Amino acid sequence: MLEVQSIVKTFNSGTPNEVHSLRGVSLTLEPGSWVIIIGTNGSGKSTFLNAVAGMFFVDEGSIRLAGRDVTRWPEYARAELIGRVFQNPFSGTSPSLTIRENLSLAARRGRSRGLGWGMKSTLVSKMRDEVSRLNMGLEDRLENAIGSLSGGQRQALTLLMATWLRPELLLLDEHTAALDPKSADLLIALTEKVVAHDKLTTLMVTHSMHQAASLGDRLIMMHRGQIIHDFQGAEKRRLRPDDLLARFEEVRRAEQLDESAAQMLAEKYI
Amino acid sequence: MSLLIGTFTIGFILSLLALGVFISFRIFAFPDITADGSITLGASVAATLLVHGVSPPLASLAAFGAGMVAGACTGTLHTRFKINSLLSGILVMTALYSINLHVMGRSNVPLLSVTTLATQAERIGLGVTRGVTSFNLAGWDVSVRDASVLCAIAFAVALTGTLLYLFLRTNLGMAMRATGDNVQMIRALGVNDATMIVFGLAISNGFVALSGSLLAQYQGFADVGMGIGMVVWGLASVIIGEALVGSNQVGLTLVGAVMGSVLFRLMVAVALRWGLSPNDLKLITAVFVFFALITPQFLRKARLRSAHA
Ligand SMILES: Nc1ncnc2c1ncn2[C@@H]1O[C@H](COP(=O)(O)OP(=O)(O)OP(=O)(O)O)[C@@H](O)[C@H]1O
Ligand SMILES: [Mg+2]
Repeated sequence: MLEVQSIVKTFNSGTPNEVHSLRGVSLTLEPGSWVIIIGTNGSGKSTFLNAVAGMFFVDEGSIRLAGRDVTRWPEYARAELIGRVFQNPFSGTSPSLTIRENLSLAARRGRSRGLGWGMKSTLVSKMRDEVSRLNMGLEDRLENAIGSLSGGQRQALTLLMATWLRPELLLLDEHTAALDPKSADLLIALTEKVVAHDKLTTLMVTHSMHQAASLGDRLIMMHRGQIIHDFQGAEKRRLRPDDLLARFEEVRRAEQLDESAAQMLAEKYI
Repeated sequence: MSLLIGTFTIGFILSLLALGVFISFRIFAFPDITADGSITLGASVAATLLVHGVSPPLASLAAFGAGMVAGACTGTLHTRFKINSLLSGILVMTALYSINLHVMGRSNVPLLSVTTLATQAERIGLGVTRGVTSFNLAGWDVSVRDASVLCAIAFAVALTGTLLYLFLRTNLGMAMRATGDNVQMIRALGVNDATMIVFGLAISNGFVALSGSLLAQYQGFADVGMGIGMVVWGLASVIIGEALVGSNQVGLTLVGAVMGSVLFRLMVAVALRWGLSPNDLKLITAVFVFFALITPQFLRKARLRSAHA
């Protein structure tokens, strides 16, 4: 489904602000698998998802999706294959357009947009059904501007929009991080439902050890632009939040060791 | 009375400019200065074609097309060559000054003995009244010629405004509105935002140029300097319109822009009547837009302060 081959991305290359955000990341996803990505701040999780989505081109490596080499496809072209929900609830919807208009934009993701009427009655009744399934009472507010909705409502709609046309790949970048715990739980329940129902291939970044342990069928941990752990199958099922915290602690210790070693060297030789 | 009708007529003609400015400034949040040049471009293209015997509707349509090309240039400079939006507009506007001189062959083209949309409207009006040249409206003497031109332009604005409204609700139109609203989202939904901006600025400047062509046909001349300050004029109309309708529903905002244009023209006419020197007009307009731009911030701060107190 998704085949990422040793991709490398360096930002601000050749300047003092050079950041090696991805240092050779490879990952192959089976169709229908749900992979959770965890890692410390700045470890490159978002950069990885953004590279797959095409927000920038990678410096090295290749990305294949649904049998096609998309490495050089611009972001808008890849959207035909990819549905996305962002961390920021403001990113996924157009605030001054109505709920209905936002959904009808999503109903043509990756398709041509001409002078056709955006509001076919069959589409509108389907919208009412799908939106009422969110259990947020939004089905009577289809004509309201999205700007008037709460973050949780927006994220639920964004998820609905991202999966309105079944995407080959669903990208979720900390999509519950900006929400209060209750809205976050609701959104996670929705996510589980839609991923299971449409058998979606999913990449999900999270900082919640609870989500990381309970969701998905595979978990990878990133650190400094690389994948340092990859748990699958029974091993993934056995993982508990505490195990994951222990892995983070390992990383932290190794880091400190690095630092103290560097300090020792510096004291000795400089 | 004829002064009042003339004020309304120009207000309606410039409402097409306001609609153009609305598309670039409000829908795309793109401060497009090209309009100063493309309004003159519309006027000079239409005037030159009319002088060469082209029919007025066709000449106006050609003006619209020329404006679209100008807007597409600005959009391309910005999206393809990553030039800052203001600078892209300034470059095209500056280039248009020479182009307009070339189109006209001199700095001013009179349209006194030529058939224009205005003279055609007058002829239809006189046909309807069977040659009577004036009638009485609530005690005022109204010239049939003036009234017919006003009716014609009001009809034309209603028609183009409706077309724009319908367009903004098509799949393409919605994608354009979303592009100005949230680029990140529209890319994630598979829309090439660069194409949308080029196309949107093309339509915007098409409207502006159409406005210029109608202005030339109404005034009876095209002049190379007629576009100076027109962006600010259009922006003033849009701002007044927003205050009038106080809603961001697409249809209402379009109606607002038209009403704003007419109202602004009326305000100007009154100010001139009170003895404002025409030389100060642009200064006053700029000051007005300045205040209109800062008032919302001011109100917000005042509200915050009173909330804290
Ligand atoms: N557009 C960019 N320009 C410059 N540097 C960037 C850019 N995007 C990411 N980076 C850098 O790349 C590194 C990895 O960032 P990334 O956002 O992928 O981390 P992350 O794992 O998502 O972290 P977090 O958990 O905080 O979201 C960081 O050092 C970041 O500053
Ligand atoms: Mg991140």
